[in-house]
Amino acid sequence: MSTLPPAVLGLAAGVVMLLFVIGLVTYVTLLERKFAARMQSRIGPYRVGWHGILQPIADAVKLMMKEDIVPREADKRVFNLAPVIFLVPCLLIFATIPFAPGLGVADLNIGILFFLAVSSMEIVGLFMAGWSSNNKYALISAMRAVNQIISYDLPFLLAALIPVILTGSLRLSDIAVAQDGLWFIAYPVLGQLGFLAFVVASVAAENRVPFDILEAESELVAGFRVEYSGMKFALIQLGEYAHVLGTSFLGALLFLGAWAGPGPEWLGPVWFLLKALGMFMLITWIRWSFIRIRVDQILQISWKLLLPLTMLLVIATSIVVVWRSGPGV
Amino acid sequence: MTLEVVGFWVLAVLLVGSALAVVLTKNLFHSVLWLALALTGTAGIFLMLEAEFLAGVQILLYAGGVVTVVVFAIVVTERLVGTRLAHTSRRVLAGGAVAAVFLGVMLDILARAPLAPVMVPMGADPTKLIGMALMTRFLLPFELLAVLLLVSLLAASYLARPEE
Repeated sequence: MSTLPPAVLGLAAGVVMLLFVIGLVTYVTLLERKFAARMQSRIGPYRVGWHGILQPIADAVKLMMKEDIVPREADKRVFNLAPVIFLVPCLLIFATIPFAPGLGVADLNIGILFFLAVSSMEIVGLFMAGWSSNNKYALISAMRAVNQIISYDLPFLLAALIPVILTGSLRLSDIAVAQDGLWFIAYPVLGQLGFLAFVVASVAAENRVPFDILEAESELVAGFRVEYSGMKFALIQLGEYAHVLGTSFLGALLFLGAWAGPGPEWLGPVWFLLKALGMFMLITWIRWSFIRIRVDQILQISWKLLLPLTMLLVIATSIVVVWRSGPGV
Repeated sequence: MTLEVVGFWVLAVLLVGSALAVVLTKNLFHSVLWLALALTGTAGIFLMLEAEFLAGVQILLYAGGVVTVVVFAIVVTERLVGTRLAHTSRRVLAGGAVAAVFLGVMLDILARAPLAPVMVPMGADPTKLIGMALMTRFLLPFELLAVLLLVSLLAASYLARPEE
């Protein structure tokens, strides 16, 4: 364990994964813009490169050239640190995702717990950004974010627990392998309801429309990131999309059978990527179809509907598992 | 020096430094941020001891959850009171005395506990062992904790009810 080669190997795997994720996240923004444009009978980015294929690169270059503005009354150290604190957990969640049997940075035996724990750290960075900007819109947005994330962390966690109970392991690769015969979304009743709860809770946890009260362009301008510009804004944006993508990968792994699919085994990662992008498109589809709902409605959905539903599902899943494994376990 | 030793010292310095910063920083918000760092560092220590489950729970509950609540409390109270809260308590003597007593107790416990010179590898999956222990030997305390949480939840909603 203390010899150098594995450590170097791990580092290399981490760097490769990081570059892959950042590249993917950059291009996922183009996917969303194209998809949204099609939904609204527009063409979307078209001018930069073939069908706008270079648009994300142009965007990145533009953001890098922009002036970096720090408000005079801001809490400067916290303000500068916040985008980084926000971004790191969003990228760390990819560390534990296995893209094929044995292909991942770290297949931890607490995989899903690691994912949930790390993604809950994101709120610290978000709040730092909102608070240090010393701007009332940013602060209101950050407070709403905390409110919403407290409310939706629980249903998200419970929904993610359903495949864990069915598998009997927290390790993500075990959960993927357990769906060899039957994807968990096809599991009678439990699978479908669990997936539904997972999607709703993850849309809310990512603060996307219809749960985007903390961005709410019409009331809060852009929410907690209103004072950010240039590269720091880009980092926050990157973190947000990485979080959405990471949750899509998690959803594909928990409910859609991860790398299972027809064709030879080496196609596994491709299938996994396609499923994750499918999840991403689903979330995008929801985003561009619904309107924002009110704060009290959001809290009501969480506490009065989603939380009891997921709790019941978890209990029912446990009963099913115990019943199927027979007496005397 | 092995990687473990280096890791330990890095974590130890980080942990003690951030813990001191929690107490010594005047700005209340900054000290919560230092607290978050200290709690995350504690999770790092758990990871070094191969207690991954504990590390995960530490981050999920403390670094994520508790810090969230504390931050929320500070912002809301600052708005109610109308001034920036700052803690300027400098009772060095009393604080030092408490810390000294605590250190004494810790050293005493450490001296009594039999410590293996090298780390004993964990036998089975610790997550499973924790689950088993909670559901069999420690079932009653576990359930009592659940009742306690339920009571505090009810009490909170009672206190927060609108005035009639």
